[in-house]
Amino acid sequence: MYYIDLAVTGVSFGCMYAMMSVGLTLVYGLLRILHVAHAAVFALGAYATVLAANATGSIALGFVAALTVTPLFGMAIYRLLYEPLLSYRPDVPMIASVGLLVLMQDAFRIVFGEQGVTFRRNAFSFTTFDVAGVTISAVQIAIVVTAAIVFLGLHLFTTRTRIGVGWRATVSKPRIAASFGIDPIKVRYLNFAIGSALAAVAGGLVALLNNLVDPAIGFVVSYKALAIIVLGGLGSVRGTLLASLVLGLVEAYGTIFIGAWLDRDAIAFLALIILLMIRPQGFTGARAA
Amino acid sequence: MLTDRITPSALGTKALLGFASLILLGVVAAMPARADIKIGFQVPLTGPAATDGKSAQIAGEMAIEDINAAGGVLGQKLQLVTYDDQAKSDQAIFTANKLIGEDGVKLVVNGSYSASGRAAAPVFQKAGVVMIAAYGVHPDITRAGDYMFRLVHLGPPQGAATALYIGKMLGLKKISTITMDNDYGQATMDGFLEAAPKYGIEVLNKYSYSLKDRQFGSIVASVKRDNPDGVYATGYFFTGGPLVAQLRAAGITVPIVGSQAFDSEKFIEIAGPAAEGTYIIDSFDRDRKDEALQKFFTGFKERAGYAPEGVAAITYSAVKLMADGIKRANSAEPDKVRDALAATKDFPLLEGSMNGFNGLHEMIMPIHVNEIKDGKFKPAGEVGDLNAFAPPEK
Repeated sequence: MYYIDLAVTGVSFGCMYAMMSVGLTLVYGLLRILHVAHAAVFALGAYATVLAANATGSIALGFVAALTVTPLFGMAIYRLLYEPLLSYRPDVPMIASVGLLVLMQDAFRIVFGEQGVTFRRNAFSFTTFDVAGVTISAVQIAIVVTAAIVFLGLHLFTTRTRIGVGWRATVSKPRIAASFGIDPIKVRYLNFAIGSALAAVAGGLVALLNNLVDPAIGFVVSYKALAIIVLGGLGSVRGTLLASLVLGLVEAYGTIFIGAWLDRDAIAFLALIILLMIRPQGFTGARAA
Repeated sequence: MLTDRITPSALGTKALLGFASLILLGVVAAMPARADIKIGFQVPLTGPAATDGKSAQIAGEMAIEDINAAGGVLGQKLQLVTYDDQAKSDQAIFTANKLIGEDGVKLVVNGSYSASGRAAAPVFQKAGVVMIAAYGVHPDITRAGDYMFRLVHLGPPQGAATALYIGKMLGLKKISTITMDNDYGQATMDGFLEAAPKYGIEVLNKYSYSLKDRQFGSIVASVKRDNPDGVYATGYFFTGGPLVAQLRAAGITVPIVGSQAFDSEKFIEIAGPAAEGTYIIDSFDRDRKDEALQKFFTGFKERAGYAPEGVAAITYSAVKLMADGIKRANSAEPDKVRDALAATKDFPLLEGSMNGFNGLHEMIMPIHVNEIKDGKFKPAGEVGDLNAFAPPEK
């Protein structure tokens, strides 16, 4: 049962990483910008969830609030930060992005306090189910189910709807897509809105899991998500999903076997280095070239 | 001739008047120089340690206000010269030099983490500046020289006291350990592991995590498999809170013992009902019938909006001790203050009475333990066998 417990942990880590990183890979795919400030969007989502949940007494309304605020914030980042810098080399918007992340982290600290915020009532964190000796927490179930719905929804959206197909087309062949009457600017806004919303959901779920949102919450995301999208083959949603799950499982099992010497992050990056040595192009390599 | 008309007595009066006004002038001129004794104060106000830095800053300011309200020291007021060191070595050195060179400070309270205290200590030592490290736990701080003092138990002694508490006082023998892999977490755990066999403790498995981690799924699953009598974890309240919540959520009901830095109301807030039955080593006794402590508690809560934790209490005490040192030295000269501090005996800290300093200027004091009961810190005994966790002499 122990190894299944670990698998549950690994899969829930993986699903969380997938939701955090997909926005990052979408932005890279479309604009070739490393959207480091995505971590700030994630943190904003986490804060919005907790604060709105505490204000209204409903965790569901907390998520609604996060899903309202973060897409707007994501689109604002595009409009105000990236668009004016698109004509420069890609490292220029990236540096601006890093700047925004640092700024936001300190802004969270100043506005919401150094100590972080916690849910006033959070039954989820402390609810667990015992399924044939395997302990699964309510939040873990929520994470896996949400990720499944999100990625299925994303798949259906990009294959079954006109706007979704247009989006995909713009990512792979922007000129041709434009000649078919798809507005590339709209696609960009859509891209930031969806990516940010997913990060916010992940943020809210992590907040539930930890029962704590502190100013540093986005920090882990900022570097781990970058590693994931590189491993996934930059710009590929499927690769990101795969890389996230692999990383989650490596962390879950790795912590046990070498956990007395290396912490989880170190294990993750060790795995990343090894995997990239074997497969420098990432899991779905075509795009990285 | 003018002088011819002045009688000897008139001359005397004039001279006296002149002399008196000269003295008056002198006093006025000397006043700014005599006005305040400056205490340098390094705290991390930005960056990841800002949580503790903010608490330390408020506590330090409260101490100064209390001292000055009671008439200051040696008829002079104390003044805090505060710099943000971001809990970073380079910032600590930079601000230390600033305190020495620009502000002319001779006495310093370092209300920051080990990384800062450790870097600043040699700078102050070289300049002959007295420094009290309020809660920086790295051994190198006091090793920098005889101008350095520390008001917190070092990691290894704290760990040794924990082994005594777990093995002898709680009577738990099979323990899983969880270490936060920074200086503080590791040094404390090392002390525990070294002393554990003395009290018949068997360590089932050792796990470690990073300061940034808040998700402990695999460790939790493994501890569950270990099926220990108890769990000992080092960390801060912001890692300990989620850790304890996740251990309890997995159905682990055995006692959990946490290191000193779990000590915060926020820990209880984060872990919620899961915090019940957690022991915190070297946690400060909030119920102690002590007027100064109760006054500090309400005063701090009013200013900060949250209850003070160990960091705040010890920083307050550090400033108070410095003032006491000046008083006992009857001088703000660093050499004399150093000697007075070294001779400290039974000084009342907010946490209780400290016995004094050892030869390396490490604090000697019993270790208090709290247990979380009904969402509150409740006294759960004291490790008073000072020899069991004597700090190093060099």
